[in-house]
Amino acid sequence: MQKVATGPTLQGRIGQFQFTLRRQEAVTGFLFILPFVAFFVIFRVWPAIQAILMSFRQWEVLMPEHPYIGLNNFRELMNDDLWWLSLRNTSLFAVLTVIGNTLISLAAALVVIQPIRFQTLYRVVFYAPVLLSVSSVCVIWSWILNKEFGVLNYFLSKFGIAPVPWTADPNIVIPSLSLVTIWWGFGFPMLVFMAGLQAIPEHLYEAAKIDGANAWQRFRFVTLPLLRPTILFVTVTQFIAHLQVFGQSFIITGGGPGRSSYTVIMHLYYTAWRFYRMGYGAAMAVALGIVMIVLTLIQFRFFGRREEE
Amino acid sequence: MRRSFVPLAFAAVSVLLLMVAMMMFMSTPVLAQENPTATPIVAEAGTGAIQLRYWNGLTGSDGVTMNEMVAKFAEENPEVSIRVESMAWATYFDKLLTSLVAGDPPELFLLHHQEIPQFARLGVLGATDDMFDYAGGPLPAADFAEPIFSATVYNGVRYGVVIDNHGWGLWVNNDLFEAAGLDPSVRPANAEEYIRYATLLTLDANGKHPNEEGFDPENVVQWGACISWLKPTFLSTLWQFGGDIVSEDGKTATINSEAGHKALQFLYDLIYVHHVAPPPAGFDSWQTFAANKLAMIPEGTWFRNFVTLDNPDLNWTAHGLPQWGDVRPATWVSSHVLYWPASLSGEKLEWARKLAIYLSEQGLYWATSGQVPGRLSQRAELDPEVFPSNIAIGRAFEEYGVPELASPYSTELVAAFEPEIDAALNNLKTIDQALNDANDRIQAILDRGG
Repeated sequence: MQKVATGPTLQGRIGQFQFTLRRQEAVTGFLFILPFVAFFVIFRVWPAIQAILMSFRQWEVLMPEHPYIGLNNFRELMNDDLWWLSLRNTSLFAVLTVIGNTLISLAAALVVIQPIRFQTLYRVVFYAPVLLSVSSVCVIWSWILNKEFGVLNYFLSKFGIAPVPWTADPNIVIPSLSLVTIWWGFGFPMLVFMAGLQAIPEHLYEAAKIDGANAWQRFRFVTLPLLRPTILFVTVTQFIAHLQVFGQSFIITGGGPGRSSYTVIMHLYYTAWRFYRMGYGAAMAVALGIVMIVLTLIQFRFFGRREEE
Repeated sequence: MRRSFVPLAFAAVSVLLLMVAMMMFMSTPVLAQENPTATPIVAEAGTGAIQLRYWNGLTGSDGVTMNEMVAKFAEENPEVSIRVESMAWATYFDKLLTSLVAGDPPELFLLHHQEIPQFARLGVLGATDDMFDYAGGPLPAADFAEPIFSATVYNGVRYGVVIDNHGWGLWVNNDLFEAAGLDPSVRPANAEEYIRYATLLTLDANGKHPNEEGFDPENVVQWGACISWLKPTFLSTLWQFGGDIVSEDGKTATINSEAGHKALQFLYDLIYVHHVAPPPAGFDSWQTFAANKLAMIPEGTWFRNFVTLDNPDLNWTAHGLPQWGDVRPATWVSSHVLYWPASLSGEKLEWARKLAIYLSEQGLYWATSGQVPGRLSQRAELDPEVFPSNIAIGRAFEEYGVPELASPYSTELVAAFEPEIDAALNNLKTIDQALNDANDRIQAILDRGG
């Protein structure tokens, strides 16, 4: 009886079929993400490359020539006191806002994740400001914070507190803008924290309770360590967002008093769009991008370390 | 095998259709839509086949007045339709610039005279010499008020058609003046009198004036004066003391001159020595004036709408800006000027010119927006009962108005000094430090411009 060599052939066919199927699935998947990739490349990657190239040129709008000037824009930037001033203001704003946003959104998430009455209402109310535009938020808050007619100072006066110059004092103008931003934006990280909290297995809390851990200890030794990836996500995305602050200072304070709330993006906007120095503005954008990358790497190192260990 | 490609092909076709649909949607011009949804900042006038776009930064009640004038033009000229888009000046400059870069600017747009060099040097403004009678055009050049008319010339070429003059005056609250025993129809004659008036008009919570024992400067309930918008207030004061921000040849920054120090010191003293004006940061001068808590406000001609339409109960008088400096009277004056792009031609150019001429002739109607007509014959026709502020401040423009410096870097120059002056007046920098910093920044801009 002759042995029919069906085994390897069948396996080979199955393997080939699986490979073809995987390839087809891959192609199908790729086609599904193609619109996003196409628009991402056209509207994000390509402009970013153009901005980097532009930063090496003396690029003034509508001028016929855009001569290559090497690193001159970056040299000028390093000697531009307004760049350093705006970077300092922006960094202070970002640090205050990220810390405030993270703490408040985490606290709010811890509250609204509990089975309390009107739980859904609280979630909606906390999230609702995120839906507002920056212009609406800033116009409303510029009225609230007005020293003479603002409702905040009105309520404080009921407790005998003298009118606070929320946006007129250089020492408190950035914390004031930060306060506005936290009110506006803490709803989104709250949602992220809620998702993070829901992913923590309940049995870990039960085990901690059996071991005699109180509420604080359960939060400290169970919740926080397991929320570390969520905290990393929140702080990284928040830092990137708040280093690009523009509307709040532009609308509420105009960068003042003096230049106490003048931010990097304001400096970039004025340089590129009001003074038409697109090349120099592009250099600022590239430099800010580098600052963001460095800060993100630092955060990954700081928050990601224990994960790796 | 062939059947397995069906979902793949379906996905590919779907993706392709989706992308094409999105691109079509993105590339559809608003004007081409069958039923465009007009936002409040867009006004359509007329239904004629010749379509013009007219952009401006008139977002207040002046924008409504402008739209009415354009609608009247379209009514009289049924062959034309005009889409007027009004947006905040900051957005407006961004959008105008983008449209010029894209080669699709509006057929008519509004700017100020000081922005002519900024745009003219880029070659995007259409010249308008042939619009005036000295070059055979229909507009009488001698009827256009100085000093603005001369300020619309750059490198020997005239740009734009002036429709108004607007600038800085002094607005006083009659009720507060009368309560202090002062006559609101009499303008303070000089710095000394201005401070005396302001002292009489400033009150703390105990009803004391700044020159009285026990006055509490931290608890003022009624201010005699204020700084208001820094640029025109400071520039007017600087000119009055004989200074300017740059030298006559435009090559040297001069803001930290002796005149600059005197001007800034005068404004600083109003706040911190005489205690008759609040630090500018966070102070809402308009609402304080409307609340009868501010007696004198340096403000623009456009303030008329605020005190007449928005606050009809206010009892006010407008004057030309008083002379605070020791050299000459001076007040900041600017203008709204209509332009068309250099690339415009054919019938659209003809209609843009006709619309500009028409708007220039409607100065009396435009005066209801508070601005001073750009033409002398129209100023002479202003009714004193209806247009007291236009007349009083307009007269000051003719007598001692100083146009803002028109330079390729005018926006940048203002941005260089304004925050420094703000810092000094909010006590964040000394006067010396602020003026020296402003001078260095201005000089850097001038040096870069060659």
